[in-house]
Amino acid sequence: MLAANESGVMKNIMKNIINILLSIVFSFTFFFFSGCSKVENKTGERIVNFAVGGTPDESAFWEELVRNFEQKSGIKVTIQRQPTDTDLRRQGLVIPLKSGQADPDVFLMDVAWLGQFAASGWLKPLDIHTGKGKNPDLSVFFEKIITQADTYDEQLVALPVYVDGGLLYYRKDLLDKFGYKKPPETWAKMAEYSHEIQNELRKTNPDFFGFVWQGAQYEGLICNFLEFAASNNGGFFTDKGILSLNTKQNIEALDFMRGLIQEQKISPPNTYTEMKEEEVRNYFQSGNALFERNWPYAWKLHQSADSAVKGRVGIAPLPHFPGGTSASTLGGWHIGISKYSDAKSDSWKFVKFIVSRETQKKLALELGWSSGRKDIYKDPDILSALPHYAALAVAFDNAVARPALPYYTQLSEVIQRYANMAISGKVSAAEALAKAEDELRAIAGRYRVK
Amino acid sequence: MRQHTFGQRKEALLFILPLALFLGVFVLTPVAGTIIGGMFRDTTFLKKEFIFLDNYRTLFADAAFRQSFRFTLLFVAVSVPLELALGTVFALLVNQPPVRFRTALRVSVLIPWAIPAAISGRIWELIYNYNFGLANYLLSALGIRSEPVNWLGNDMSAFFSLVAADAWKTTPFMAIILLAGLQAIPTELYQQAEIDGAGFLKRFIRVTLPILKPVMVVALVFRTIDAIRIFDIVYVITHGGPGGSTSSLSLYAYKYFLAGDFGYGSAVSFILFLTALGLSLIYINLGAFRKEFRKELP
Repeated sequence: MLAANESGVMKNIMKNIINILLSIVFSFTFFFFSGCSKVENKTGERIVNFAVGGTPDESAFWEELVRNFEQKSGIKVTIQRQPTDTDLRRQGLVIPLKSGQADPDVFLMDVAWLGQFAASGWLKPLDIHTGKGKNPDLSVFFEKIITQADTYDEQLVALPVYVDGGLLYYRKDLLDKFGYKKPPETWAKMAEYSHEIQNELRKTNPDFFGFVWQGAQYEGLICNFLEFAASNNGGFFTDKGILSLNTKQNIEALDFMRGLIQEQKISPPNTYTEMKEEEVRNYFQSGNALFERNWPYAWKLHQSADSAVKGRVGIAPLPHFPGGTSASTLGGWHIGISKYSDAKSDSWKFVKFIVSRETQKKLALELGWSSGRKDIYKDPDILSALPHYAALAVAFDNAVARPALPYYTQLSEVIQRYANMAISGKVSAAEALAKAEDELRAIAGRYRVK
Repeated sequence: MRQHTFGQRKEALLFILPLALFLGVFVLTPVAGTIIGGMFRDTTFLKKEFIFLDNYRTLFADAAFRQSFRFTLLFVAVSVPLELALGTVFALLVNQPPVRFRTALRVSVLIPWAIPAAISGRIWELIYNYNFGLANYLLSALGIRSEPVNWLGNDMSAFFSLVAADAWKTTPFMAIILLAGLQAIPTELYQQAEIDGAGFLKRFIRVTLPILKPVMVVALVFRTIDAIRIFDIVYVITHGGPGGSTSSLSLYAYKYFLAGDFGYGSAVSFILFLTALGLSLIYINLGAFRKEFRKELP
């Protein structure tokens, strides 16, 4: 297979190299030209500075949206353009916020660092603006998202702009062909279907695998692990907020993940070295996998013109273990206002505009982003353009959040390392989780001291 | 000896001042800041507090830190000598007068060095890619192995994959510095050695090596300090995986800075600084650098 793809391989490599070179040139250009102007708005406040990053089409979308807002409100907003990479975006916010700078006023935050930002006292509480009868009324959003992600210490500190949840993508055509009417509801069934179809398709395609998911040592592995664990009634914390990683349920879940690669061999060997969101999406999109675990963004790309699986994909809630229920790790981006902002009231007007139904609908239709507003999923325009949104709403009802602790990143680093070690086959799931729990306790002890 | 007048001394101080200022602002202040910062609990979400050596106590008790420390030292120990050996070979090759296209050869040797580390990391990431990487493609095209290899899949092969990527990128640096040294060797010395009946190997050991030694020590110090800080290619290629086995000290420190724990990150950085300082001192003494240097003075 490798030899047959010779020119394709070279083309792919060349394309990647050119892309990298271009992005370097662009990012340097932005460094030089992104100064922040300090002119006042008509309202007497400073200009709103909005920090946002993303892919080129996302950035183009934000620029148009900001122009739109400026025309409507007469409030000037400058965009402080950030990179696409999540870690770099975080770094670009931590530095000005730690030194109490007035810019940026408004920014997007990944749900995984909301806890730290809130605990550091960097976010202006939004409670006074929202609530019953006010605009926006909080009941328009998914309740679990508001309570698990946007509320810290009983204060509302952010609002959802883009919510993510893990989904099961499956090859409708293949399941049909082998006589399965519905996607699997349990992990055991998922493995069963995978074995059968993988064995059959391997005869013509040696690269075919049953199930692709994110297993490289990075944050995405935590999201996958949490889904396996929570769908076995496990998780990282008890209801009372006590750390409970080394449990029977979690060991079972991690052992199952390890088995998918090491024994069942229905997930590729590079799952724990290379598989991140885009690698997984490309693998499935080139027609080499039956099932895929990914975020909602993959849907639109699977349906693009050059996709080998266009029109042959279905989505469903992720499977679960016997006695458990499907779980979907909550991801996504939330908008907040800096406590150090010198344009707080104009900033709030801008935030209100971003989370409005009109803007959220536009985000869904143009970028395929899934909203934190429930009303979007009932909108007839949305449902006819994006029929998979009905399944998304179910996933967000099953949302499980990663622990909203200020030192979450440190905990995550430990779990990533040991979970990756276990699925690489180096240590058993039980040993990995026992060691990880010891390290987690040490970290928690260190940061809990007041 | 001539007595210096007060005016002369003042003049001398004036000449030293810019350098002293430069070192003070750009070297001493940050180092001092890091040392002091490492003695504080300085996170974004807790009250800043002086904790003296607590960060270091935590550090040495942390298995991930010890792993990163081990990896970093091992990486230096393997990659730097390898790069020195390859660099010497390249320098000798490029220095051979009969070689045609000498300029073109020299320029082409430099290309990997001119590519930013993050980008060469991406290139190697694509080479090691399990599904469509060049390495697996070559193995199957040459008929060596039909099953693809998971290059980054175990501790050992991930380690050597990183060493190979680093050697590719930094061997040119070694080669260029050594080439400069080689060119300083008068050709008469070689001619004389040849007349005395010395073969290539003997000429290399008796003529080239002794003269090249101080240059080699300089190149080694530069490369070692650089290799201790290894970050870019690890960040891009393995991100510390599998199971944290290729996490370097800088990557470890970076993760804490990213998480907003500046005190702990500073403590790790200071350890990094001490390691670099320690190894440099060893080199300078082992290489009898000072003696060699003095010899060259008139």
